[in-house]
Amino acid sequence: MNKVIIEARGLKKSYKMSKTNTVRALDGIDIVINEGDFSAIVGPSGCGKSTLMHILGLLDRPDEGQITIDGVDVSKLKDKLAYKLRAQKIGFIFQGFNLIPTLTAVENVVLAGKYGGMKLADRKKRAVELLQLVGLKDRMNHNPNELSGGQQQRVAIARALMNNPTVILADEPTGELDSKTSLEIIDILKKLNKENKQTFLIVTHNTEVAEACKKTIRLRDGKNA
Amino acid sequence: MEILRNMWRRKFRTFLTVTGIAVGIFAFTVMGSMALKLNKMIDGGKKYITGQITIMPKGTDFVSGQMSGMLPIDTLNKIAKVDGVEAVEGSVSLSVDEPNPDEPVAMSMGTPATIYSLDTNSNFKNKNWETLDMKEGKLIDKDSADNDISIGSTVALDKNWKLGDTVKIRGREFKVAGILEKTMTGPDSYVFIKLPVAREMYIDSNPFLKSLRDRASEAANISDAELKKLSEETRNQILQAKAFKVEDVSTGASASWKEGVDPEAVVARIKDQYKDEVVVLSPKKMGETIDKASATMNAIIYGAAMLALIVGIFSITNTMIMSISERTKEIGIKKAIGASGKSISLEYTLEAGVISLIGGFIGMGIGILSISIINSKMASKGAEIFLIEPAFLVEVVIFSFVIGIIAGIIPAMRASKLRVVEAIREL
Repeated sequence: MNKVIIEARGLKKSYKMSKTNTVRALDGIDIVINEGDFSAIVGPSGCGKSTLMHILGLLDRPDEGQITIDGVDVSKLKDKLAYKLRAQKIGFIFQGFNLIPTLTAVENVVLAGKYGGMKLADRKKRAVELLQLVGLKDRMNHNPNELSGGQQQRVAIARALMNNPTVILADEPTGELDSKTSLEIIDILKKLNKENKQTFLIVTHNTEVAEACKKTIRLRDGKNA
Repeated sequence: MEILRNMWRRKFRTFLTVTGIAVGIFAFTVMGSMALKLNKMIDGGKKYITGQITIMPKGTDFVSGQMSGMLPIDTLNKIAKVDGVEAVEGSVSLSVDEPNPDEPVAMSMGTPATIYSLDTNSNFKNKNWETLDMKEGKLIDKDSADNDISIGSTVALDKNWKLGDTVKIRGREFKVAGILEKTMTGPDSYVFIKLPVAREMYIDSNPFLKSLRDRASEAANISDAELKKLSEETRNQILQAKAFKVEDVSTGASASWKEGVDPEAVVARIKDQYKDEVVVLSPKKMGETIDKASATMNAIIYGAAMLALIVGIFSITNTMIMSISERTKEIGIKKAIGASGKSISLEYTLEAGVISLIGGFIGMGIGILSISIINSKMASKGAEIFLIEPAFLVEVVIFSFVIGIIAGIIPAMRASKLRVVEAIREL
């Protein structure tokens, strides 16, 4: 039995849109992610996929429920301490790539190492290795605006891997890519999962991406479907 | 490097902000250098005035500087005997150049060239200014000829007088026996002349005193026998004229006090005994008056510069708020990948500091250039307006960084508190 990386029970989250209008994004979600999982979270638009991803990634706090990440109960973790856990245990890949525009590809990856507490001398070396792994070594000194969408997402993948995270959370990683590039990106993720046993949790509404994942977690109206 | 790249992203905005700070620091550099120069001059004056008890003739108008010119030598001799007084020296001062009624008086930063008498027979010494350093030649003394003069550095530059030159002052010929080292204060504009000669020049410049002297001279030629033949009224007039002594002509006097004696007590005694005849200036009170005036002047000068800087601070704060607002998503990304609120806050505070530092260097650079140009134009007259001190310039640089930090703190703290999810949602 693989080690449990993420375990969440009874997650609830609501957003107050106005005085009279409250949206219940999550209404009692349970989720377990094991080491080496390559899982997809799927569901119709507005079912709470991104909200769940944000909470699991400690970018947001649940109103109710319990979460453990790598055995650590983070249910009551203060925002100002969450950054450390995010830096060291969680990698993020976003739909819009979200690279820092004023930094080159390698500098974007190095930045994650800085926040993860990596020694200065080791940061550049690892960043270059990771960019080579994703096939971008020859473009590492280019700024994001000089890279294609697929190339930017590869940089994002390298950045997510920088601190050897326990889990990588990918929120619609192929959302802004064409089908060919989408497949390339998913292939990279699959390869990392297979060869490095990297755990992935991918939010997607793309059926091809969902089919590429070993496990699927379905949500509907903020609940497990 | 990222800071510089971020500044480069919004070139025009960065230019405006940097310019705002540059203007403020330029004002601070220029005004501060002016204050340094004025303070140096005032310090010199303060040092002088607090090193002696200054005695002025009764009837001296401090507002217009009008002096009666009469300080009887007998009075000075009596004051010299007051308990605690070490020595008293009468002195005469008047302008080197005769006033031109056709030309209005020109305002200048420096003191106009002034004749200052030296009593080479007196043993009076100012407690704070016992010697004057000479650049060339010597300070006139007992052995000097009556027409020898020692001149200040500004006088030498302005009038192009050199050691050994024969020069004319108020129609009389003198020989330059010495040129003083630059003092940055009063003596730079002085022409030191022996007291008896200075007295004669003063009398010549004052029609009333001149007529008194001439009448005294005529009266001296009338014998006692001839005097007896004259009417009582005329006899009295001649006796009065005879009473006039050149030695009674002094525009002021300086008294020193004995070692270990409280000068204020000596001032009190002189006032007590001679308040109807002379005005006595207490060194302590004069020092306090100068300090007050100096503080006021510094407050005005630095206050004006600070106003310019405050505008600069607001400019940076505004820029940082706008910058952070535009980079909200970037802040969210950094926090998502593990940046702490503290590191975000530090990054933006530092960015504000760097913007201000760059503005500071530019403003200071332009300030130094302007000061140097103005000073070099005034140097030929020895009347530099500014004093550039390296220590002050270092303070200016540090100050410009600090105000940037201050301006950036609040926007930076706001950035550090941005919620990640809301920040990233800015797509």
